[in-house]
This record gives sequence, C-alpha cells and structure tokens, in this order.
Amino acid sequence: MKRKVINYAVAFFILLVLNFILPRLMPGDPLSAIYGEEVLVQMTPELKARLIERFALNKALWEQFASYILSLAKGDLGYSYYQNAPVSKVIFSHLPWTLLLMGLATVFSSVVGIILGIESGWRRGKLTDKTALTGMMVLSGFPSFFLGIVLLLFFAVALGFLPLQGAKTAYGKLTGGWFILDIFKHLVLPLTALTLAEIPANYLLTRNTMIINVREPFILTARAKGLSDSKIRYRHAGRNSLLPVVTRIGIKLGIIVTGALFVEIIFSYPGVGNLIYTSLLMRDYPVLQGSLIMVTVFVLLINLGVDLIYKKLDPRT
Amino acid sequence: MIKSRIVLSIFLTFLVLFLTVVLLKTDISYGQIEAITYTIADTTGDWGYPSPYTHYCRGPGYVRMSFIFDTLVWKARSGFIPLLAKKWHYEKEENAYIFSLREGVSWHDGEKFTAKDVVFTFSYIKKHPTWMVDSSIVEEAVEINPYTVKIYLRKPYAPFLNNIACTLPILPQHIWQEVENPRGFQKDEALIGTGPYRLCDYNRVQGTYLYQAYPNYYLGKPEVERIKFIKVSEQIAPTALRRGEINASSVPPETVKDLKKEGFQTLTSSGSWNAKLMINHTKEPLSSKKFRQALAFAINREEIVKITQRGYATVGSTGLIPPSQEYWYNPNIEQYSYSPAKVKIILESLGYHKKKGYYWKNGKKLTLELLTSSQFVRVAELISQQLEKVGIAVSMRSLDSKSLDVRVGSWKFDLAVSGHGALSGDPFILNKVILGEGFISARYNKNELLNKLLINQLHQMDREKRKETIYKIQKIYAQELPALTLYYPTWYWAHDGSLNLYYTRGGIAFGIPIPLNKLCFLGWRRAP
Repeated sequence: MKRKVINYAVAFFILLVLNFILPRLMPGDPLSAIYGEEVLVQMTPELKARLIERFALNKALWEQFASYILSLAKGDLGYSYYQNAPVSKVIFSHLPWTLLLMGLATVFSSVVGIILGIESGWRRGKLTDKTALTGMMVLSGFPSFFLGIVLLLFFAVALGFLPLQGAKTAYGKLTGGWFILDIFKHLVLPLTALTLAEIPANYLLTRNTMIINVREPFILTARAKGLSDSKIRYRHAGRNSLLPVVTRIGIKLGIIVTGALFVEIIFSYPGVGNLIYTSLLMRDYPVLQGSLIMVTVFVLLINLGVDLIYKKLDPRT
Repeated sequence: MIKSRIVLSIFLTFLVLFLTVVLLKTDISYGQIEAITYTIADTTGDWGYPSPYTHYCRGPGYVRMSFIFDTLVWKARSGFIPLLAKKWHYEKEENAYIFSLREGVSWHDGEKFTAKDVVFTFSYIKKHPTWMVDSSIVEEAVEINPYTVKIYLRKPYAPFLNNIACTLPILPQHIWQEVENPRGFQKDEALIGTGPYRLCDYNRVQGTYLYQAYPNYYLGKPEVERIKFIKVSEQIAPTALRRGEINASSVPPETVKDLKKEGFQTLTSSGSWNAKLMINHTKEPLSSKKFRQALAFAINREEIVKITQRGYATVGSTGLIPPSQEYWYNPNIEQYSYSPAKVKIILESLGYHKKKGYYWKNGKKLTLELLTSSQFVRVAELISQQLEKVGIAVSMRSLDSKSLDVRVGSWKFDLAVSGHGALSGDPFILNKVILGEGFISARYNKNELLNKLLINQLHQMDREKRKETIYKIQKIYAQELPALTLYYPTWYWAHDGSLNLYYTRGGIAFGIPIPLNKLCFLGWRRAP
C-alpha cells in the first residue's frame, strides 16, 4: 500500500516538472508561452515587469521551479490574461456542467452496460444474446461526437423537439420545476450521445467475463445449494464479472473532465471541454496548463481510488 | 407474484410514456422572441465583462462594451458622425483638435457628462493603457469650458479621428478617479457609461449577455428594448434563425444561398483579414526583388481562392490594401497574374537553368522551405504544387502556430503562410505590417522612398493628399513584394430583417468587421 502511494507521488512530481518545463522549452520567449497571445495584444512594460517578477523568469531555473511549486501549493493555477481571471476560478466555473454531463453518462452507461452484459452472458448463444451482441458491435463503431451529430440533426434540427445548443435557455426566466426541466431538456442529447458511446465497451467486458464465470465450479455449487436463478446471475456470477469493468470505469473517470470535449463542442455545452477548446483557439496557455494539472490530479486520485476498491471487490484478496 | 409484476410493468410503461409526452410537448420559452428583444448568436459566447478594461482584447469584446460606452465620434454606415461631440475641427497651427461636446448628456447614474470626463479619460489611459487605443501621440487634453475640449497632439496624426476619437470610450471621472487597478474593477459601477444600453446580466460560463435600453439616452430611447447575446455555434446558427430563436448571426458561407431564398437578409464582408505568404527577404535568393516577382507570377492566387476557400474569398491585392477599402485601394498596380512564361524569363535572367524539370544555379537545385500551421495546410500544399510545377522545389513543413510565429519572427524560414487582420480600418496598419517589429510584419525597410512615404502618410492631415501617398505606397509595395497577400476570406452574416444591420464602412471604432453597430438598434428615424 505504502509503495503504491509513493508510486503515485513520483508520477505526480514528474507531471509537475513536465508542466513547468514545457512552456520554458517552447521556442521563443517563455513569457509568451506562459501567457499566450495576450502578451502580444496587451503587453505594457509594467505588466511585463510584473510577470517576470511573478515567475522569477530573471532568476535561475531552480528558483523559478521553487516559486512555481510554492504558488501551486497555495492553489494558484496561474492567471489567465485573456479572461482576466485566476485560472482556478475559470476552470471551476465550468466544472459543474462537465461533472453533471459526464457523471450521469458514466452512471447510466455503467449500469446499462453491466446489466445488459450479465443478461447477455447468461443467455449465451440465444437469440437475445445474439441480437444484443450485434447491436453493441455496431454501436461501438460510432464515436460519441458522431452519435452527437446524428442525435442533434435528428431530434433538434429536423424534428425540433429539443433545444439546439447550450445548457439552459438564456434569460428564459424559468423557476423551480420548469428550470430543472429546461436543464434536463438541454442535457438529454449530449447525455444520450455519451452514454450510447460508452455502453458497448462496458457491455462487452461484462459479457466476456460473465461467460467465463458461468462455467466456474462455484456456480455449480450455488445451483446445488438451490439458489434462485437471479441470485446466481447477479450475486455470484455477476458480481465476479465486475472487476474488469470497474477498472475500465476507473480509468474513464480519470478523464471525466476532458472526456466530453467533442460532444461539448457540438452542443456548445459550457463544460471544461468547451473551455479547453476556446482556450486553444485563443492561445490562452495558462488555462490549458491549469486544466492539464487538474486532469493529472484527477487521474491519479481516481486510479488510487480504483486500486483501493479493487481490494474490496476481488474475492481472492 | 406474477400479477403484481404485470401491474408494475404496466404502470412503469405508462409512467415512461407520460414523461415522454410531457417532455416533448412542453415548449419552454425558446422558440418565441418578444418583439422588443433582439437576440444575437455568437460561437464563442464569452467575450469578457464589458467594461473598457475587462472585455477580452478582440473585436467582439469591444462591440459588447460599445453598447454601454460612447465615444466622442462614431461611424455610421459610411462615415464619421458626431456622438458625444457635436462637432469638431482641427487647428493646424496648434496641432490640436477642438471638440464641442453635446450638452444635456447624463451618465447612467444620473451625473452630468462634461468636458472634465473627457480630459480625465485621456489622462487615465496614459496611466493605464488599453489595447484598443495607442494614446502616445496625444500630448494632453485641456478643458476650454465645460463643453469644449482641446486635444493637443505631439505630431500631426492622420488616423486620430478613427483610431482615437472614434475608439476611445469616455469614462466617468466621478467613478474611475478612485480606481487604481482598472483590470480588477468589475463592480456594477464599472459599467456606467453614456451609451444607449445598460448591462442587465453577463454569464461567463454560459457565454450570454443581456442589455436593457437606457431610457434617457441623449439620442432618444433605443427602439430595441433588449439585446441578448447567446452562445450558438456557427453551424447551428442557420437552424436557430429558421426556428426564430435568434435574429442575427454569422453563418457558414455554404448556407447563405438557402437562407437568402428563405427570405433572410445576408451581409457580406471581405477584406479585413488576409492570408499572406511571408518571404524571407534577408536571405538569398529571396533577397532579390526580381526573384520575389517570379514567385508571385508562379503562384496562382485565383486557384488558391477557388480550391482552398471554395470561392468564398477575394483574391489578394499585391498592394496589401483590399479592394473593399474603396477609398484607399489602388487598382492600378502590378497584380502578377499567373504566368509560368514570365517565371521562366525572370529566373533565366537571374542565371538559373532548367534540368530534369527543376531550376538549377551553380550546381545547386533551387529549393525553398515552406512553413505553415495547421490552419493553412491546404493553402501551403497548393502553393508547393504550383511552385513545383514551374520548377521550384519546395519542402513543406507544418508547425504549430506558435513555433511558426517564432521561426518567422527570428528570420529562420524561406517562405511561410501566415495572416493578420485589421485591414478594414485606417491605413496606418500599413506601417505596422511593413515597417513594424512583430512577426506579422514584413519588416522591410530597404526601399528609402517606401519608408519615407509610410512615415509621411501618418502625418498628412489632408485626406486627398494622404490618398495619393497611400496609392504610391501600394505601388512600391507591389514592386518590392516583401510579402504576398494571397486572399481575403469572405465573412457572412444572416438576419431576419427586423433591423437593418450593416457592415460599417471602415469597421466599427478602429475597424472591427462585425455588423453590430449600436446605431442600428436605436431605431431608424432617430439614428443620426
């Protein structure tokens, strides 16, 4: 356990160093690499002096690194001169929308994928299994953004059932239940696209493990005990088929923040993915680097978490 | 047991059906726009808190600010009009502009607007420079009486009206005099101006703005009661227009034909931005003027427009100033229309001879490196093909845009495809992109006459004389060819016609090519 934590700490440190060194390795003035195009648009001598001091750019590399670590420790992810706001504030204002979208998508795709996988694996070779398998194979060929575009064109553009863009109606003056319904209506299409795109992988993994597990002796034992069919299916075979899926969901959770990038762009959904996209267009490097650090921390933390959950799930440990 | 399951599943089915029907049938307010609200779509959405110091330093940010803050002078469809200043004139002897201000103008908080505010604004931007105005040319602003201001310039400065008087938002002294850090000032008071609108709401995350008409506006209460900016991507904008969710938006070129057929009004602008072939004129063989001319003959710009821009662009003028700048554009300059025959004559006169399809000199094959960023890969590929076709070998490299800018800035390149905007405003941009320092500039000072003309044009207060100079500059620039303008992309807007939007000639303020001039929202009869 201790060794695991040390491993994670080392990985984190390496990523911090990378994040520090990359802008300084970029061709040209590190100031413009750290502060993006705004340096060209609105740089005044005072601003330049202030920035050089802030990043200790006139000092030795290790001193720059020390001041970088120090400000990170204070939770300072940098300052976006394009947005004229601290990077952490910018990112956190977009984070709830991504978490709402990706969180729900992860939950739905996991639940649906696992249940379908268990049922399908249980009925291996039967018509339901074959149909589900074929359907999932086809679905897995489509990336989320493609599904997003199809859904958008069909339900929003052609049929006009659902809103085209955004996360809520701007200045719709909605309150209470109507407001929630409005948020929900805006959420349906991107959420469906992401969920549909994620289901096949969870389904296939669960089904595969399920097929192996069904043949295991402990299932026979369970049957001999006279347990009901559904109990054997879910408590015995199903539970033991979860391991690989949990690993996969864990890995996916790590990139939850950026995972919806394309779908967010298609639906102009105001999440972190959209923020990263805009920052890239405007060459707002501070926001990009801040997002990188945040994603890093997320991935590491969640991997650590998955490692811990694994112990609980795995009957062998 | 089985019975209860059936009942439960029937109940669930009905519940799902009911929810679906409710969901699909309830039409929440989108889809309807009240007559007095005008909704504008924007792909990016967020352009910053619209105070003069906190909006993002790009055209759309300025436009959102311009609804709240007025300037001394403004531009209507085709020329300067008085705004906070009733009239103005230039005094040659003293090198000063005298502005007579409008009386009876009030700030949004009810305070009176006077000459003191104008004087204050000029001194404030000297202390806290902004991206939109370079005030270094202004010596000082002096109050003559409460409604007259005299602005002394260090030197005669032809772009003064456009770049300063028409661009600088006037700040209320009673609020900003206390403000030490204008970029951090984001309170409600930061948005007290004299303009036709006040901000009701700004949502950074959703990228939305809501403006409300200011009833005591000195030109009369604006007819459009509310202006709404919402975030909608350009690809979806045509659908949003058709559904009546928005009134106006920029739209992709391919959709314009259909929209027109359906009765929407469309607006076109070309010439504020240009894609440019940067040429390293400090290095052999590109340092030879003749060689650069041969390059221009070898590059078929019409084909570039047709293929890479699908025809939605104007062919670049070798004089840099686009044809849409009717007043300044010189139509009588060498345009180097595509001619492989002329390439051959020039290259042979420079001592090159053709072998195995390529030109050689002193035993070396003529090879040029062409840099591009992902944005211009198709343009660069086509240029490579065109050059290879006439016998110039090209090695093309695609870099990320920052590395490209750095390579161009430090002269580590032969040819590079790049681009810049600001061509729709005052021709002072010529100085910035011919003599200026940055990587968007050709940094070309080898022609004494060109240098002299460029410096002179800034100080020529007589518009006609300045035009002559600008004509000459284009002519010499086209002969010297320190860089080659390839094309000016065409931009399209569509709107439902409920307002008469237009592209302001010379752009909004210093030259912003967006058809959202605040005058359009005041109402036709009263708009000056």
